[in-house]
Amino acid sequence: MMWDIRPESNSYSVIYVAENRIVMPGEVLSDKPERISYAFVDKGKTYSTVVGLYSEGKLVPLEGPYEPLPDDLIVGIISEIKFSGYSVEINCPYVSFLSSREIRERYDMGDAIFARIDRVDEVKSIDLVDAKKLPIGRLVKVSAVKIPRIIGKKNSMIDMLISATGCEISAGRNGYVWIAGKGNATLAEKAIRMIETQAHTSGLTDRVAAYLKANSQK
Amino acid sequence: MGATGKDRPKLFDSGKRVDGRSVDSLRSIKIEARVLNDADGSAYIEWGKNKILAGVYGPSECIPRHDQSLYRAVIKCRYNMAPFSGMEEHGRSGPNRRSKELSKVIKEAFENVIISENFPKTQIEIFVEVLQSDGGTRCAAVTAAAVALADAGIPMKDLINAVAVCKIDGQMAVDPGKEEDNFGESDMPMAFSPRTGDILLFQMDGLLSRDELAEGIGLARKASEKIRKIQVDAIAKVYDEPKEERFLVIK
Amino acid sequence: MESINEIKRDVLSAVLAAGKRADSRGMYDYRKIVVQPAILQNAEGSAMASIGKSQVMVGIKFDIAAPFADRQNEGVLSTSADLLPLASHLFETGPPSEEAIELARVVDRGIRSSNTIDLQSFFLEEGKVLALYVDIYTLDHDGNLIDCSSLAAMSALLSARMPKIEEGKIIRGEFAGKLPIKEKVVTCTFGKIGERMFLDPSLDEEKGMDCRMTLATTSEQLCAAQKGGWGTYSERDIMELLDISMEKGKGLRELL
Repeated sequence: MMWDIRPESNSYSVIYVAENRIVMPGEVLSDKPERISYAFVDKGKTYSTVVGLYSEGKLVPLEGPYEPLPDDLIVGIISEIKFSGYSVEINCPYVSFLSSREIRERYDMGDAIFARIDRVDEVKSIDLVDAKKLPIGRLVKVSAVKIPRIIGKKNSMIDMLISATGCEISAGRNGYVWIAGKGNATLAEKAIRMIETQAHTSGLTDRVAAYLKANSQK
Repeated sequence: MGATGKDRPKLFDSGKRVDGRSVDSLRSIKIEARVLNDADGSAYIEWGKNKILAGVYGPSECIPRHDQSLYRAVIKCRYNMAPFSGMEEHGRSGPNRRSKELSKVIKEAFENVIISENFPKTQIEIFVEVLQSDGGTRCAAVTAAAVALADAGIPMKDLINAVAVCKIDGQMAVDPGKEEDNFGESDMPMAFSPRTGDILLFQMDGLLSRDELAEGIGLARKASEKIRKIQVDAIAKVYDEPKEERFLVIK
Repeated sequence: MESINEIKRDVLSAVLAAGKRADSRGMYDYRKIVVQPAILQNAEGSAMASIGKSQVMVGIKFDIAAPFADRQNEGVLSTSADLLPLASHLFETGPPSEEAIELARVVDRGIRSSNTIDLQSFFLEEGKVLALYVDIYTLDHDGNLIDCSSLAAMSALLSARMPKIEEGKIIRGEFAGKLPIKEKVVTCTFGKIGERMFLDPSLDEEKGMDCRMTLATTSEQLCAAQKGGWGTYSERDIMELLDISMEKGKGLRELL
């Protein structure tokens, strides 16, 4: 078993436009044992565990739950105020904790924060650091595997969304996207849904640009 | 099963079955993946006159806590028949002995292929709703649930499916319809892992010889390969024709 | 999740105060509605309805039953609702919740009090009547399950066929014409937050709103109503909502 190593997030943008094919769970990726994320080895062959795009030794899942890893930048919602800090809901089945020692501000229940995962232990307890409170806004939940596409290569996609809609947009690696500010939040949400649905297709940046241009007057 | 008397129709006559099929042909199967919005994964299957919906949630926090495992995700399954699903009288809501047994065997089939070790302390829930029943609902349920799990991105060692075989007038045949189910001599549902050929669900009632058993498994295995193609096409269609609206269309 | 409710309410209030909705609809606009009648073959009647991302299926079954003691010459109408766990992460397995029972009863009252079905025609013989079961099956929950369910129920009833009865038994698979329906009953459900009222609340809006009003109407009259939630309505609010319901009802009836 060697399927639980996630590719670096910038490799997603590369693979979405490269030559690739859709593979299914149980489909052979290689006739020899290989170290491929989201794949496993059985009797000397390497198989996919997910519906994904496969190209040149890289497998990117097209759907899937968020699996927290250290250094992930996430959007979370304060779900419990404790004596020594806060429990934060981060779109995964595990509790994440933000210690009061790590922060200068105070939070209320329901506040949205942008933070970094510092540590994930063996029973999946998660510690957050570098938290920053987000202004009042709306939460858009997307499939976590689509986040790199929403951010884009060198932030190209998210920068375009921000400038076209006038919103402040924070995309968490965990699949939570926070839209705030005085801009056109409805348009931002619709564009994010469009990227989510078409994340596996090429030429997406141009189509999103055209969509934003056509709808930004309304 | 094995009913005799004057009500019993002739099930196999000069190479043809009661609905005109040959021994190795399946009823028509259509699968549509991603038809629900809130579920993490979903699939709708029409198999003969069966109409079945499968939805998957998870991994999510396992509740109640005493069900939790520190080592893996707990798989839960609920197979349920709608009170209007049958031809006969209005059904009762809620689980009965049959639906509990089927929920258990379906869950156990998936326990073999879902890679649950990565999600300790969580649960993965599989919900199957039989909207219309026509014999062979458990096999259709497994087949649809596998597509729903793949749609949810739950890591699995294989995309599994299931099909039954029956014995009708002494002849082994694949995918019994309602009448063959009611009047045939035996019924044997099976789920396969197409990658390994392993059998993940196995039930039988009626009477079979050793040779008939082997012939039945062979017939089912061949049918399983055809079903896998339909499953793969259904999943690929989600990405070939991406749609923002998720929507169940029933013909 | 309580914390999510709170942020929703903040955003909802801010957006609605500006006379807008998060999905850019007008205050009294429905989301996209699709009705699919007669989708099942084993049930005597059936339909699917969707409003936005909410999807509901309704199946109709007939049985022979004993009449209620106080209504010996009338058939039985029984409506139930299952909030299926596959429809929402908010729904759980187990006995029907308060919400499920309220949903079934609101839909039932609209059908029953409009007299759209002549239950006296369901009388067969002394101690034997037809029972009509309306089962509401929620498949996807994104708010306003009441309007979605009543549309599916009405469409299923309109598609329903009368069972053929011989020697006091139902002959399954054979029918005796269509189920006679006198009125198309539809419901309009409104949310309210602060002083703002709006039609067809989405799940996000339901989470943040103070209260809800459902008005069931025939083409002529009000035939059932249900208020939900802790907020309040003035008499003027209710009169205004009835006027809008009568108007919106025309459009809904065209879909059936």
